[in-house]
Amino acid sequence: MLLLALVVLWRHHVPAYVAAFRMQSIALAFVGAVVARYGGVPELFFVAALILVLKAWIVPRILSRMEARRPADAALQPLVNTEMSLLVSGALAVAAYELSRPLAEVVSLPTRGGLPIALALIMVSLFVVVSRRQVIAQIVGFLMLENGIALLALLGAYGVPLVVELGVFLDVLMGVLVMQALVPRMRRTSGG
Amino acid sequence: MDVVLVAALLVPPVSAALVALLASRRPAAAAWYSAVAMPVSAAAAVAIAIRLAFGGAPVVVGQAWRLDALSALLALLIGLVTTLATWLGPGLNRQSVPSSETRPFRVYAGLFAFTMLVAVSTSNLGVMWVSIEATTVTSALLIPLRRTQAAIEASWKYLLIGSVGIALAFTGTVLAFVDYASTGRDPAVALQWMALVAAAPSLHPEVAQLAFVFLLVGFGTKAGLAPMHTWLPDAHSEAPAPLSAMMSGVLLAVALYAIARWKAVVDLAIGSAFTDTMLLVVGTVTVFVGSASLLSQTQYKRLLAFSSIEHMGLACFALALGPLGVFAALLHVTGHALAKSVAFLLSGRIYDRYRSADIDHVPGLLGTSPPTGILFLAAVLALAGLPPFSLFLSEILIVQAAWSAGHPLLTALVLLLILLAFASLLTHVQHMLFGEAPADVARDEGGRLRLAVLAVPLAMLVWIGVALPEPLRMLLSRAAEVVGR
Repeated sequence: MLLLALVVLWRHHVPAYVAAFRMQSIALAFVGAVVARYGGVPELFFVAALILVLKAWIVPRILSRMEARRPADAALQPLVNTEMSLLVSGALAVAAYELSRPLAEVVSLPTRGGLPIALALIMVSLFVVVSRRQVIAQIVGFLMLENGIALLALLGAYGVPLVVELGVFLDVLMGVLVMQALVPRMRRTSGG
Repeated sequence: MDVVLVAALLVPPVSAALVALLASRRPAAAAWYSAVAMPVSAAAAVAIAIRLAFGGAPVVVGQAWRLDALSALLALLIGLVTTLATWLGPGLNRQSVPSSETRPFRVYAGLFAFTMLVAVSTSNLGVMWVSIEATTVTSALLIPLRRTQAAIEASWKYLLIGSVGIALAFTGTVLAFVDYASTGRDPAVALQWMALVAAAPSLHPEVAQLAFVFLLVGFGTKAGLAPMHTWLPDAHSEAPAPLSAMMSGVLLAVALYAIARWKAVVDLAIGSAFTDTMLLVVGTVTVFVGSASLLSQTQYKRLLAFSSIEHMGLACFALALGPLGVFAALLHVTGHALAKSVAFLLSGRIYDRYRSADIDHVPGLLGTSPPTGILFLAAVLALAGLPPFSLFLSEILIVQAAWSAGHPLLTALVLLLILLAFASLLTHVQHMLFGEAPADVARDEGGRLRLAVLAVPLAMLVWIGVALPEPLRMLLSRAAEVVGR
């Protein structure tokens, strides 16, 4: 599970954001399945399967297609350089540990050890969104933020109620579809 | 009975969207359908509001739907503003609007209204989050209706900041849920309002604080609270006028509603000192940003957008001021919804006439079109907080509540900012109303009937401002009880 957060941390400077997101989603689905198996919450198998289909397959495909249509020369130019990004992410991770201390007191489930990771993931993703100028990087940052929240829910309480879970999936899918509809138009009108 | 009410509230907007989607060949018919359907929804909201105002039980359908006085107030505002927006939206008049705009507008405006109504009428705070997130998507799609570069960029900015902000609100929701689940109660009903309120006193204080910070930042982004307001001026000024009216008039209020709900839960857990401090700080900063930016605006829709920020800041500020403050905040939100939607709808007419968004390019409004000019003046005066409009009353109540809650410095500061906003609004609107209009601007006035419709909310504002009607007063105080007991 620590690996999960690390994937995002060091994939920071690699252009393969989409691949990182796909790996992260697969890991999330795996965590979901593990919790379902050992926590005795069968609905979570269903949720894990949904994560696998939606976030590890459909959404990355949409993203790759967007990537393919992008002019090839445009490099990912972050507002903050890589070393600084990693430093900030490290600081955010420490902050997340501090913040989640009361949370770990409250939760009595065996999975509580992973809670700081979930919070760290949320904060690091937020940082990705604000520090990248490239639209696809921003979308991936947003999706990773969603993954972080899902992880928080999984580890903290074995998942939120199913209605809410389904609603979230629907929103993510709609959001990504709308974003991908907007992005090419943004380029077309700017003549690029 | 309750089933009928909830169905009458929720079915019209979604059916309007469906009709517009299916009847692709006949956009005008779809537009007429939505213009007839939305009043049904508004009427259902009125019925629910009346029942709750006179002390009736909340409208409950199964586990999923529950409307108490606070929900009823919001549903009422959504119903009224959406009805106005559908009546003045594209597709109902023969002139000026290309029919390619009618269909997307009707589809997404219907869905947008539907998602907002679901957000206020669900009993599950998780579903509330889901539908508020959905409002971002449905409204962002409508902003670039005219496909200009600025509109598409505004839409993108709104979508991204809105989605990320609302994701933070979800983090807060999940934190609260985790907290709840670990108290050992049934997690299946965890985010149901009644269950959450019952369990609130046993929530862990620090986790509740952490959750509230996330929730305030998240829903605050949607409510246009500083410093997460940066998307709002672009989105509200680039959106087509009827959508601006809905976004500014009621979507901001819905986001504030979410904050108020969660404040009630967190207050039960840790007392109101923490949430009050947060809201006071955020509210004051927001009023400051809104008022200070008003003066330097050069476009009238951006002017209205910053005025929304100022008013949301005031309402947020007032939420922290005890029962009187909450009452004032809700009254303020009501007044703002009515006045701002009229102002935005008129701004669309002004734009169609002058083909310019700049304040400097639209002089002589009173000369070219007296009815539009007079109504616009009235709406702006209402927004500036002048008597006899209801915003004057609510601003007085807010100042009074702040004073008696023991914040003399903040009271003085906010009062000063209100006066600043008042002065800037009047300066700007005076440029628009008087002077010599450009020669090529049309002087005839079409659609008088629909213009007359806009006088109704203004008349309501005066009525509320002069003699706060008893049913509304009771509805507001019952709604205030939901937030702070």
